[in-house]
Amino acid sequence: MTVASQVKQTLASLKGVRGTLNMYTLQTRDDEIQSVYTNSLEIADNIISDLEDRLKNLELEEPQYKGN
Amino acid sequence: MEEPVYLIIRSLVLFFLVWFSVRLIGKRSISKVKPFNLMSYIVLAIVTTLMSLNLIALVPGFIVLLTWLVLPLALDLLAIKSEVIHQLINGKENVLIKHGKIMEENLLQVRMTGEDLLAELRSKNIFNLTDVEFAVMETNGEINAYLKSDQKPVTAHDLGQKVAPQAEPQTVIMDGNILNEPLFSLGLNQEWLKVELEKMGVAQENVFLGQVDSSGDLFLDLFDDAVEIPKPKVKELLYANLQKVQADLSTFSLQTENKNAKSMYLKNSQKIENLLDKLRPYLLN
Repeated sequence: MTVASQVKQTLASLKGVRGTLNMYTLQTRDDEIQSVYTNSLEIADNIISDLEDRLKNLELEEPQYKGN
Repeated sequence: MEEPVYLIIRSLVLFFLVWFSVRLIGKRSISKVKPFNLMSYIVLAIVTTLMSLNLIALVPGFIVLLTWLVLPLALDLLAIKSEVIHQLINGKENVLIKHGKIMEENLLQVRMTGEDLLAELRSKNIFNLTDVEFAVMETNGEINAYLKSDQKPVTAHDLGQKVAPQAEPQTVIMDGNILNEPLFSLGLNQEWLKVELEKMGVAQENVFLGQVDSSGDLFLDLFDDAVEIPKPKVKELLYANLQKVQADLSTFSLQTENKNAKSMYLKNSQKIENLLDKLRPYLLN
């Protein structure tokens, strides 16, 4: 497995986590919990965009593995 | 023939009258009733019995009933307004143990022996007198004890643990029927519930009880106990996934030679670690 595909896998997990978190943000009735979840969503979003940027760089460096 | 029918009707009318009066006097359960109210209950009961047996005439009976109904109500009202009258009617609570020492004079005042006190404390699961800092006999005769601070049950606050606030769960299915009102109060609808049931592979008729907790997870109890339903483990899974992502990121930070990427991975891995700490009380409980 190349580095790029490993990063992709992690990115996918993180996106899954983000989706579940989003679901709980919508489901929960408590304001405090909701704000914690919303906050976590923001952090997850930041990390996702960081990883996506890194992935672009990786694919630039290793064009032969693009799409894997 | 006429006499028994007359008696039955009389008794029925009196029954509902007394029932209504008792409801008016108070809501407390009979064991917690104030001595004064107990007195009015007894008088009401006796007068009603005499009336339904035709031993006293109706009109004077009603007057007595009314007096004994109005009196406790009026005194209760006065007691709310004035502290002095409150003490006069209900008496004062007696401190039986103070700073861990038994107050013998007060014990004598409420006519209790040491053994009585110990028995009362035992019924509150306190077997050791040294555990008690303070105990008081309330005006209704109940004894309440305040434990020494090192004997009190440990709370999350004592441990410095943060715990997620949990609101009461709502029952949304009972006996196979969907209850609309609690469902709507959660902002959910029948469609949502049907989708959740389908996800668990359970037919609605087979559900005895269904509850939704404050985070929106559904718990079911089925009529058929042989059927195993998966417990919602979404939160635990979410936590585990986040842990995995965090581990991945630290691995990447070690593997890469690119300085920028290294610091980016390290920073984000740190962020997720903080996030895990923060989410822990909410996801794992």
